[in-house]
Amino acid sequence: MRTLRAPLAILLLSLLAALAASAGTAPGAKPARRVISLNPSLTAILVALGATDRLIGVDEFSARQEPTTASLPRVGGLYDPSLEAVVALHPDLVALVPSAQQRNFRDQLRTAGIPVLEVDPTSFSEVLGSIETLGDRVGLRVAAEQRVAQIRRVRDEVESAARSRPHPRTVLVLQRDPLYVVGAGSFIDEMLRAAGAENIAASFSDPYPRAGLEWLLASAPEVILDAASDPEPAAAYWSRWSSLPAVRSGRVIALDATLVTLPGPQLDRALVVLARAIAEGEAPEASGPREGGR
Amino acid sequence: MTALTRRRLATVLALFSLLLAASILIGLAVGPSGLSPSRVVRALLGSGSAADADIVLRVRLPRVILAALVGASLSVAGVLFQALLRNPLADPFVLGVSGGAALGGIAVLGFGASLGLSYAWVPVAAFLGALATTLLLFGLAGARGRLSSTSLLLTGVVFNSFASAAIVFIASVAGLTEGTSIFLWLIGSLSSARIDVAGAVALFLALGLGCAVPLARGLDLLALGEEPAQQLGVDVPRVKRLLLLATALMVGAAVAVSGLIGFVGLIIPHLLRLVLGPGHRLLVPSAALGGAAFLVLCDTVARTLLPGRELPVGAVTALAGGPLFLILLRREQGSWGAR
Repeated sequence: MRTLRAPLAILLLSLLAALAASAGTAPGAKPARRVISLNPSLTAILVALGATDRLIGVDEFSARQEPTTASLPRVGGLYDPSLEAVVALHPDLVALVPSAQQRNFRDQLRTAGIPVLEVDPTSFSEVLGSIETLGDRVGLRVAAEQRVAQIRRVRDEVESAARSRPHPRTVLVLQRDPLYVVGAGSFIDEMLRAAGAENIAASFSDPYPRAGLEWLLASAPEVILDAASDPEPAAAYWSRWSSLPAVRSGRVIALDATLVTLPGPQLDRALVVLARAIAEGEAPEASGPREGGR
Repeated sequence: MTALTRRRLATVLALFSLLLAASILIGLAVGPSGLSPSRVVRALLGSGSAADADIVLRVRLPRVILAALVGASLSVAGVLFQALLRNPLADPFVLGVSGGAALGGIAVLGFGASLGLSYAWVPVAAFLGALATTLLLFGLAGARGRLSSTSLLLTGVVFNSFASAAIVFIASVAGLTEGTSIFLWLIGSLSSARIDVAGAVALFLALGLGCAVPLARGLDLLALGEEPAQQLGVDVPRVKRLLLLATALMVGAAVAVSGLIGFVGLIIPHLLRLVLGPGHRLLVPSAALGGAAFLVLCDTVARTLLPGRELPVGAVTALAGGPLFLILLRREQGSWGAR
């Protein structure tokens, strides 16, 4: 008996959970008008879709990254959002990525009766899905579909152009010391491959593994894409390891981390930048102020 | 206690030196890229390929050297703090020097980029933090001319909690995306080993050993209590002041390059006391050699266990040291109480 009861309870619980979830995001519900975004990638999506006027508050990181939201009320950082600040703004939607730090906060918001939209994309299609979901909730479905179609189109172009080129052994460095790289399964990994790279770190099974320096030296990458935030220039930093093929041939390229690593609305631009860096070893556009949603 | 003959000292130290040499060879020969022993030897002799030379001479060798120096520093510091503070649970981080170092290093991680400082400044700032803490500690705890163990311990504990609060504060204010760096710092890692900082660690290790070895007899007498030691001719205030200062600087240098690697300074001293007895003439140099060998082996595990990945060495020392320490504690329970 006991062995039967447990699965039944789990089934009931998951049904309840599904009901609760569908109640939160009922299709055809009124579009949200007062939105708080707690993540820079979600803020970037909302701004790109033209929903800046629906935003009433953002987290500190978003405010720093999206100049158009800098004047909005801030409700705290990625790790320490303030429940009181969020409640005081009377949002009808709070969009967040349920990271370890924000999971607890999400539950608090739900308890306070505030509608929450969770988005947690890892793969390329999940990022595109999150653009559509977010667009849907703020009543900008058409804009979202156009943005996604544009990204898909650019991906196809980049992919077919890259097919005939050689595929250099490439690593994308997220952080130098400790060394973090892009492994298998993330949207960045998919973009690397679409842009004509052989991602040598795809041998790691998780999306953003911590790798060893010895592993990097032994894998002999022909291209190093460096999106680290250390102020020391990438070429100067990697020139220490002159046995690396990428260093010898001068194919160490600094990338704008916010463009390439943000699971946001600019994946088409990211793909173009990656393809150029991989094909020509050319330093892409400097990280200046970003154009708004196109 | 058996009298320590020159012969016994020489034999024990020769054995520990062999152990260290063996662990260094293992550390150089083993790594995630699986170079064959012959390629390792050729790289060491300077006749291998450039890539092999980079791996053996510039990745493995600095780590092995630094692991040995940090392991020796931490375990000697453990022996000295346990003797000076007459507290078996004292570890190298007990005086709060580690908190000061962590605070200095993390301040650079948090605000360095906006000042244009590269992360290469982290160990420098960490050592300055350790130095400042040491001076502050001696200023506060030694205010009335004598250094009481209780006030040192209390000041250290309070400073460590202050430092960890300040670290959390910096991390949230600076909006650190380098959360992993802070985490690694707090658990201890040798992955950023650079040969240029090894010299500084070696210097402070030499300073610590240079002060401790000649004063070993005084340390033995200190076990009887401060007053009996004083009556037996030990200049207790001077010995304490000198050794605490030298040890604090030694720990500061070690923490500055590797973060808070736990258990080395706790487990190695207790293990060696069990094997060699409590005499410090033998204990101090053996702790240096044994601690070095232990950390070299732990770091070899840390960089080899998961292919291509890095584990923080502090996790390895804790996983190996924690259970071992509990077993020791159980066996020792009677004897500490009886002492």
